[in-house]
Parts: sequence; C-alpha cells; structure tokens
Amino acid sequence: MTVTAPGPSTPGSSGGTRAALRLTLASLRTHRRRFAGTFGAVLIGVSFLAGTLVMGDTLRASFDTMFGNAAAGTDAVVRSDSMITTPGNTQGTRQPLDTGILKTVEKAPGVAAAVPSVEGMGQIVGSEGEPVGGQGPPTLAGNWITDPGLNPYTLAEGRAPHRSGEAVLNRGTAKRGGLRIGDTTTLRTPDPVRVKIVGLATFGGQDGMAQVTYTGLTLADAQKYLMPAPDRAAGIQVRARPGTGQEELAAGLDSVLPRGVEAVTGREVAEEDQEMISGQFLTLFTTLLLVFSGIALLVAVFSIHNTFAIVVAQRTRENALLRVLGASRRQVLTATLTEAGVVGLIASAAGTAGGIGIAAGLRALFPAIGFPFPDGSLVITALSLGLPLCVGVLVCLSSALVPAVRASRTAPLTALRETAAESTGVARSRVLLGAALAAAGCAATVAGAGDGGRSIYLTGAGAVTVLAAFLVLGPSAASTAVRALGAPLARARGVTGALAQRNALRSPKRTAATATALMTGVAVVSLFTVFASSLKATMDESVSRSFAGDVALSTPAFGAGGSGLSPELAPRLQRLPEVETALGLGRGVASVEGAGRALTVTDPARLGNVLELTGVRGSLDDLGENGLAVAADEAAKQGWHPGSTVRLRFTDGEAQRFTVEALYDRNELAGDYILDRSAWAPHRTQDSDTLIAVSFKDGVSTGEGKEALTESARPYGNPAVQTREEYAQSSAGGIEMMLTLVYALLALAVLIALLGIANTLTLALHERTRELGLLRSVGQTRAQLRAMVRWESVLVAAFGTAGGMVLGGFLGWALVRASDSAGTGVFDLPVLRLGTVALVGLAAGLVAGVRPARRAARLNVLRAVATE
Amino acid sequence: MSGLAARVVDAVKIHGSGDTEVRALDGVSLGFTAGRFTAIMGPSGSGKSTLMHCAAGLDTLTSGQAHIGGTELGPLSDRQLTLLRRERVGFVFQSFNLLPTLTVAENITLPRDLAGVRADSEWTDALIDVVGLRDRLHHRPGELSGGQQQRVAVARAFAGAPEVVFADEPTGNLDSRSGEEVLRLLGDAVRQMRRTVVMVTHDPLAAAHADEVVFLADGRLVDRMDSPSAESVLDRLKAFDTAGAPT
Repeated sequence: MTVTAPGPSTPGSSGGTRAALRLTLASLRTHRRRFAGTFGAVLIGVSFLAGTLVMGDTLRASFDTMFGNAAAGTDAVVRSDSMITTPGNTQGTRQPLDTGILKTVEKAPGVAAAVPSVEGMGQIVGSEGEPVGGQGPPTLAGNWITDPGLNPYTLAEGRAPHRSGEAVLNRGTAKRGGLRIGDTTTLRTPDPVRVKIVGLATFGGQDGMAQVTYTGLTLADAQKYLMPAPDRAAGIQVRARPGTGQEELAAGLDSVLPRGVEAVTGREVAEEDQEMISGQFLTLFTTLLLVFSGIALLVAVFSIHNTFAIVVAQRTRENALLRVLGASRRQVLTATLTEAGVVGLIASAAGTAGGIGIAAGLRALFPAIGFPFPDGSLVITALSLGLPLCVGVLVCLSSALVPAVRASRTAPLTALRETAAESTGVARSRVLLGAALAAAGCAATVAGAGDGGRSIYLTGAGAVTVLAAFLVLGPSAASTAVRALGAPLARARGVTGALAQRNALRSPKRTAATATALMTGVAVVSLFTVFASSLKATMDESVSRSFAGDVALSTPAFGAGGSGLSPELAPRLQRLPEVETALGLGRGVASVEGAGRALTVTDPARLGNVLELTGVRGSLDDLGENGLAVAADEAAKQGWHPGSTVRLRFTDGEAQRFTVEALYDRNELAGDYILDRSAWAPHRTQDSDTLIAVSFKDGVSTGEGKEALTESARPYGNPAVQTREEYAQSSAGGIEMMLTLVYALLALAVLIALLGIANTLTLALHERTRELGLLRSVGQTRAQLRAMVRWESVLVAAFGTAGGMVLGGFLGWALVRASDSAGTGVFDLPVLRLGTVALVGLAAGLVAGVRPARRAARLNVLRAVATE
Repeated sequence: MSGLAARVVDAVKIHGSGDTEVRALDGVSLGFTAGRFTAIMGPSGSGKSTLMHCAAGLDTLTSGQAHIGGTELGPLSDRQLTLLRRERVGFVFQSFNLLPTLTVAENITLPRDLAGVRADSEWTDALIDVVGLRDRLHHRPGELSGGQQQRVAVARAFAGAPEVVFADEPTGNLDSRSGEEVLRLLGDAVRQMRRTVVMVTHDPLAAAHADEVVFLADGRLVDRMDSPSAESVLDRLKAFDTAGAPT
C-alpha cells in the first residue's frame, strides 16, 4: 500500500448542512412507516383548513354572483329610508312605500321604466299539504314583474299571472312541493290564499336563488295580501335609459323624491344583500369551521409531538454515534427538524390538495341534496393555498421542536452504553407543579362560575390553567389510571390482560402523551355536549315556566321561520267549543331610545290565561292604543316605572308616546314589550302571528283538543299543533341541529387522535420486537398477542376518554355557570349522551389497535428473537 | 508533539459519590506513541474503557489532563470537542457502528460530510480497496455480515486521516476469522500507512497484533509490554489472577 493520507482539511461552508439533509432524507426513506401517523394527522387537519377556506371563498363568490343576478337590470331602487333593526334580526324591517310616487319617478331624468315591486313573506303549501321551506332561507312572495329587465326571475314554462289567484313559482320550489302547472294550492301570506300555478320560473339559469322559495302574483294580489294597504309597495325598481349611469340615475331620482324616500343604485342593493349574507351567515359559518380545524390541528400537534418524541428516543444511539463522529448539536437538531419539515411539507401539500378536493366535492354534492349552488367555479386564492401549507409545516416543526432539542443534547457516550431507554420515572417536581396548577385552575374556574361575581374571563383563564395541569399531571395520572382501569382487565383476561396493562404502564409519559390527543378531542366533545344539553334544558324550562296553556301552534324556531301564522287563525280557534282561550302573539318592531326593539303584539288582557305572567305590577287589562307593558328588568335598565312615558318610533317614521301601564317578571314568550293590537295596527307592515297559545276548557283532554285544532288549522297551511313538551322541544331544535354539526366536525379530531394511538403503538411494538418474539417462542399464540396489543390500545384510549370527560364535563359546567348572567340557567349532565361518547372513545382505542396488532402478530419468531 | 498522538497525565475518574463512589481511574499517566498500535488490557472493571473514553474526549476526567496531539481536552467546549472528534480522531466500536439508514459509501464518508468537506477520493478509494468492499458500496449495513460491517467501520475511522484511531473491543462481536481480518486491517494501517491506533481488548489473540500492550488493574497502570505475543499476554494476565493486582 503506497497511498498517503490527506492533510488536514478545512471545513466547507455549506457541506455540513448538506450532510444533515442527506441524513434526514435517508432516514425518511427507511422509516416511511413511522411517519404514516404524522402524515395522516397533518393531512386531515390541513385538508380541513384548506377546505374551509376554499369553501368560504367559493360560497362568497357564489352569493356575489347570485345577488348580482338578482339586481341585474335594475339600475336603481326607490324605497323608504326608514328601517328598524332589532337584536337577533339583522335583516331589519323597512316601511312600505306609497305607489302614488310612481308618476314622479317615471318623469325623473334618465328613467326608461319604473315598476312597483311588492315583497313579503309567502309560504307555499306542497301537494301533500306540507309547507315548503321555512327552515332557514326565506320564503318570499311578490308581484310578478313583467318587464324582463327588472325581474331577476325568468319564465321557464307556462305564462305570467294575469288574473287574480294565479301564481308563478320558482322551479325548485315546485319540485320540492311536488307541484305542477295547473295545480291549485295554498299560499300562506300568512292568511291562506288559494293560488293556481300558471308558470315556473328560473333564477340566473338555476332552479332558484339557493333554497329561497319564490311565489309571483299579480300586482293587485300581491298588494292585497302582502301589504298593509292596497296602494303600497316595498319599493320601485327603475331601469335607466341607455347612456345614463346608475349613480346619475339615483342622483336624479333623489332630487325629485319627497322626504322619507330614497333612491339607491342597483349595485348598492346587491352589495347590501351580499353583506347581509356573507357578513352574518358566511362569517359565522367559516369562523365555526376555522375553530374546528384549529381543534383538529391542536390534536394533531399532540400526536405529532408524541411520534417525534418516540422516534428520537428510539434513535438515541444513532444520534449519539453521529455526535461521536463529529456531528455538532446544531447538525443533529437540523436533521430532526428537517425531517419534521419535510413530512409537514409533503403532508400539507397533500392536505391542501385534499381540501380543495373536499370543497369541489361539496360543491358537486350541494345541488344533489337540493341546495342549488349558483354558477361559478371553485375560488382558490393565494391565501387558501399558502395558509394551510404554512400552518401544516409550522405545526410539524413546533411539534418536533422539543424532541429535536432533546436529540441534539444526546451525549456522545450514550452510543457506547448497552441500553438507551427513555427515563420512565415521573419527577416529584412535576407532580407538585401539576397539583399547584390544578388547584389554581380549579379555583379560578369555580370563582368565575360562582354566585359571587360571574366572569367568563376568569373561568376561561381557569380553564386554560386546568388544561395545562392535565398535561403536566398526565404521566402520573396515567400510571394510576391504567393501574385502576387495567385491574379488572387483568382479572378478566388473565395473563394477556396483565401483559397489556403492564405494557401500557411501561412508559407513563408516553401513555399520557398518546392519550392527550384523544383526551383533547373527547374533552371538547363533552364540553359541547354538556353545554348544549344545559342550554336546551334552560330553554325547556323557560318555555314550560312561561307557558300556561295546553297546546301551542308555532312557526319553526330556526331560520327565517316561513311566513308565520295567519292572524285570522286565533279568532277562528277561539270559536271552537273545546277552547277556553286561543291567543295569537305577533311581532312588531319599534325604535326605543334610538335602539330597535321587538314588540309582542297581542290581546294583553287575555295574555295571563295562556302565559305564566308573574310579578305583575299594574294591569294589562286596558293597555289600549297608548299603553304599554314592559318586562321588569328592561324597565329597570331604562329607568322606567309604572306611569312613565315612553317614546316609540315606528318604521313609518311616526313617533308616539306610550304610558307604561304594567311591569311583569321576565318571560321568554312574552318578550320585553307588550302592545295591544290596536296600538300596532296603524304602523303594521305584513301581519302574522309567531305563536298561538291555546288553553282548553275543563274536561277536554289534550288529545281531543289537539285533534279539533289540527282540523281547524288545516286550511291555514297545516301548522303543527304541539303540546307543551313538544313545543319546548321544538324551541330548542336549533341547538340539536348545531350539536349534530359540531359532532360531525369533532369526529375529525377524534380520527386524528386515533391515528396517533395507532402510530404510537406501532412504534412501541417495533421497539419490543425481540420481546414479542420471546413471548411467541414461549407459547403465546398469535391471537393472544393480538389481544394483548388491542387491550393495551383500549387501556390508553380509556385513560384519554376518562380524562377528557372529566375535563370536558367540569369545563362545561363552568361555562354554563359563567355565561348565565341572568341566573336562570339550568345545568344538565346528559348521562346517556356522555355514555355514548365514552363508548366511542373506547371503540376508537379498539380500532386503533387493530392494525398494529395484526402487524405484530405477523412477526417471524426466530427473526424477532434475533433482533438487536 | 514529542511523538505522542495522545496522552493522559494523572488521570482520575470518579463515578458516583459517597458510598457508591467508584474510582474508575486512579492517577494514570500514559502516552500513546504516534505511528504505533497500542492495546489496553486488563480485567473487567479495571478502567480500560474509561481510559479510552477520556483519552478520546468522549468523557471528561475528574482530575488530571488528557491531550490529543498538542491540544489539552479539559478546557474545550462541547463545540470544540465535536470539531476535534470530527477532524482528528477516529472510532471503531464493538457494535452499533454504522448508521442503518445510510449506504456503505455514505457511512464511510459521513465524518467528512458532517464537516462539510469533500472526501479525498483517492484516499477513500484506496481505503475501500483495502477493506475489500468495493462491490458492497451501495448496500445498507443490514445487508452485510458482522465482519463486513466492522470493516466498513474501520474504513470510516481512517477516512478522515485522523491523528489517532480508538477501537473499543473491535472484535468482541465477531467470529475468530472476521476478527482476525479486522485486526490485520488495523495493523496494516499502522505499519503501512503510518497511522496511530489505540485498542481496548480483553482478548490476548487480539492484543498480539499490537506493537505494545499496557495493562490496567483497579484504575491504575500496572505494566507495559513491547512486541507482545498471545502467549506472553496470557501469562501476564494469569499472573493477575493468581497474585492479584501488584501495587
């Protein structure tokens, strides 16, 4: 050998990093399997996020197109400038316009055509007698505008209505109601009107404007049924002469219009409508989805962190060897972080693509389930591509940071020691810190929820502290819990159960970390379950406390609520021999001290017969045209007493003085302000009742009475007649719907947690290969081995589920108490539901164990024993 | 440099404290001559591995000094120690020598890659031929026999042309034929390529490949022997057993 050794070398500038990168890629290639769980967790979380963003943008663009279509051809709208918005109904109520102004409008400069437009609530009854729609989007009726340029609907089949009693429906409504041209049906305006369908219309080429139902009548019919007087309209739609711009037209109109009437451009109207939908509904919708993708990603952080912690622990000797061979701490850190970054990047890219796919799928699915999506392609902005990608990579990097730092601190000498296991003990300081955090957190939470001063912020801070305490106490809790939970298992399943329990106990830190992901998911589910259940119980109770009648006829509590109930119905029911009192309650709006308020319009003298009005000071018997009854706490807020004078301004611009005749204790159904019908009549728009409360005569059974009412109400569009319990239930129906949606979204978080358990198990089993071979060699059957792994998985899941339920239940209780400023809230622990959640958690553990168990059982015994 | 590739002066290493205190090294002073193959021997617990770890900068002394060439290791920071290992020291271990995720070629050039310098291809090439692994360059360690793996480790240790290579029971996990090959490689490196090797072993046959053997017992240096043979080493070890460690 004649080769001479090279002299001392000088380090290059970037070569060291390249080495780290090469190490990373080689390790990723070899250990692809190890990162399957991490990949899955990031993928799901990021898909969710990307899907939400793309969906939100697409919906927004679709609504833009839709409202653009609705206003297309209309260059300006003349309308009353008086509108009152009440809390909870942001759409507002606008005063109708006197159509006498039409002549003035037509003569204004630049006007080519002007038509009155009547708009109101009208719900069509389908061929089976069931009303169509009303559970969300509005049910509209109006005059069929014959000028095609001013009508967003286009006649697709049949003809326009010529005679009284003829109607055009949008095609989607006709399909949903099973109605055809030539059919005669009822339109609830809410007074029942018989209409004959003569034509079907489309909206912007679609069957309808999303799920909005539309009925077009003749102008005379529309004014008769939808307006308080025959010479009124909601507005006047104006088309400009060629060469006259929208702004020019509106300005020209404004100069000739009287006070109280305004002209706005078509574009402004479209923007207002759009703002109403995207500003309210869409923002809420996307915010909700973003919160849940946040939860999913949080759960992912726990799973990923755990994976990296285990991988780093398993690789201690490898990292130590690298340090011996001259790898700097920074190189080891870089290698581990790069690994996380690469996994994060690939998974996030796949997730972003997946999210776009989900959005595209939903867009295709919506029309199939009867939600016609307006034209327009998928909207993918740079933000909805970039944000999920960045978030995904960041989640991965931050999850891997602590393990990577730990890896970089590996002492070189570790490479030469025989075993390099993780430390399994739980430090005393950790237990103490956890206990202190738990105590402080619980104290803050309870203090915020206590009777003293309720503070949602204090409770929130407490909740975060409690969560931190759970994480810190996790390992010590894990060993105690697994010991307790596993004890019956060991008895019932013999040595297999005992082995499973001991395996789960092997590294409490790891067990706790694995369970944390599931715990977070279950905690959120439990919290929502408890909160929603309590909210429902509160509503139930307030309805049954407020309601003194036997049955109720009501409109759906959720969404726009259809067209309401006909004011004719209550007097008609009153005439039935079974009925003692049948009282209709309608809604009105007025501005009180500058703020919009909802009014209950009824016959106050008889209100006490059907509602449980307590603490009445003064009398409701004779409110008349100038009297008013106010809920006591509202009166206290405004500083009113019986006899005070109150000024109410109505949508017609008129202000009127009322005397406070009576005060009463807060009642959910009666609302804050009670007015006599005679006081409301001069200011009314389209009249409808939202509730008819009925009490029966003595000796009439609920069944009999209900039957008689149902029969009498049938011509009025078949409103549901509900007993007190049914009414209370349906009032809370919206909560139930919300909860279902929340469950569906949280299922993703649980799925991620499940991936985490499966991944940890796979890694742990890989570590124990030799031991598994040993067990098999001394006679453990494949089935026993599988059972052992599955039970370990179930034990870990049981720990996570139990922890999550305790945490979620406690925080749910605190949230209910803290948010209940009125002190009328009810706490309800839904045992059955929480039981189901617990079962789902355990089942998740069982499912998570299946694949690792199967893989472990396939081991070749000899090779496993020979593994180092 | 006084011809010494590495040395320790008054080296004391104490593990634990109080009742559990163990003096693994109890005042050892010893130099390893450059260009020589030195074996460290002694019964279990004599401190031979600790001596090697401390001399190589993997572990720190409780008191005393350790030098590689003219550099004292004690005052060096973690980063400086890392650079020193990377540039001036090579290692061969009993087991777990190679990174399972890298190919043979990548394993050999790993220390150079970590330093961010291009491996001297002529030198690396020659090494690969010397250890006889040219046809295995793109295999993973898992696909090689134990002897082949250890030959890769030897090639890697010498790849950076370090001032000294430390070998810790390099034949401990190998059958006698594979062990023989590895020892011959180490010997050739010293004699033909002017390298320095320090090897810890408990096997007299292995020690016989060295130019010099030093004997440790109870953390102290008790004897040295030049040009050892398996028989002379064995005799010397038997003397420990019968007479105990002479002080």
